[in-house]
Parts: sequence; structure tokens; C-alpha cells
Amino acid sequence: MTTTQTQTQAQQQAGANSQTIKNPKPSYEPQVKSPAMNDRDRLNDILAMEKYLTDSFNVSVREASHPALHQDMLTILTETHNCQYELFELMFRKGHYKLEAEQQTKLDQAYQQFSGYQSQFPYQQQGTLQ
Amino acid sequence: MQQTLTPDQTQPLMQVPPAVITTKDYSYLKDELSWELLAMKKCSHFARECSDPEIRQAIDKAGLMHQQHYMQILKHLQTNNNQAMSNVPKS
Repeated sequence: MTTTQTQTQAQQQAGANSQTIKNPKPSYEPQVKSPAMNDRDRLNDILAMEKYLTDSFNVSVREASHPALHQDMLTILTETHNCQYELFELMFRKGHYKLEAEQQTKLDQAYQQFSGYQSQFPYQQQGTLQ
Repeated sequence: MQQTLTPDQTQPLMQVPPAVITTKDYSYLKDELSWELLAMKKCSHFARECSDPEIRQAIDKAGLMHQQHYMQILKHLQTNNNQAMSNVPKS
């Protein structure tokens, strides 16, 4: 994390690392953390539980026998995924997540590399890449 | 149930597994209900402890989802397996 920078419109923080994507933390968050769980801890714990549930329900979908049961499990799996992502979005909004943009040169290099592999495609039909 | 006959078989072929709760389904359904019950309890408990209303609301929303999932899963335990099996060709 960079030094204490207070930016109201924090989409991308300039400074030590211009590749950082992070929101400022809510003002009510205590500077000195106590051993007690706070809102952030609770949200994090629920997020972890939802992630665990998506793994569990993925197995449920795979193992369900008849079509109606399979479909219900698939619906529950999808809804659990959506819930998990919503919680992640909330944590991001609250400044609990720091993301880092990859360097452009690395993207370009990997694009070149994997574009070249199109010569190995077994099907004649054009893919989505031009 | 959709069934077709093949020349070498007098038995009708089932195209998909019948709407029967199998032994494996049964084990999973019980597990899934336990996961959902714990999840909704945890959400409700944590939500009550939250001071940020936005976080409380988000966690309660998740808890309500788990409660709805619980009911959706529970329905499958109301399957009449005897009736479903009576329509299944005996092998």
C-alpha cells in the first residue's frame, strides 16, 4: 500500500505506484484495530463462506441425477456466485481491495505469443480473434 | 417419461434419469440443507452486529438468499420416490 493519500475520486491513485486501483477507506474505520471483529471482518468472513459454498454447490451440480434437480442446483450455484461477487464489489467500494494493473508490455507480449498459437488450431473455422 | 424402443430390447429406454431421489442425491441434499442453514444463521447474526447500514443490508440480503435456497432444496425431499419408481422399467 502507498503512503497516506486521501483522494476523494480514488479510481486510480497516483504516487508511488500509478498502477494501483483502490478506493479510500471509510472514515469510520478505526486506525487502531482491536481484537474484536469489525464490520470489515464480518463482511470478509461472509465473502469467504460464499466462496466456499460455490465450491460445494459446484460438486452438487455435477453429482445431481435427474434434470430438475440438476437445474435447481445450477440456479443455486449461479445465485451464490452472484452474491459472492456483490459482496466483493461492496468490499471494493469500501476500499478493502487493492488491485494492480498489469504492465502494458506484458499484455502485448502475451497477446503476440498466444496469437501465434492460432496456427495450432485443429479447426479451419475462424475463431473470435482476427 | 420419454421412452423409445430399440429392436433388440423389449424394455423401453429411459432418455434421462427419472425424477427419483437417488441414495447419492439424498446424501447431498442433507449436506446442502445444513450448509444453507448455517449460512443463513451466520448472516443474520453478523448483520445484527454491523454498524455500517450498507454492510448490514448486504449481509442480510445474502442470508435471505440462503433461506430461499433452503426451501428450494427442501422441496426435493418431498419427492414421492415410491410413485416415481413405479413408472421406472424394471431391469
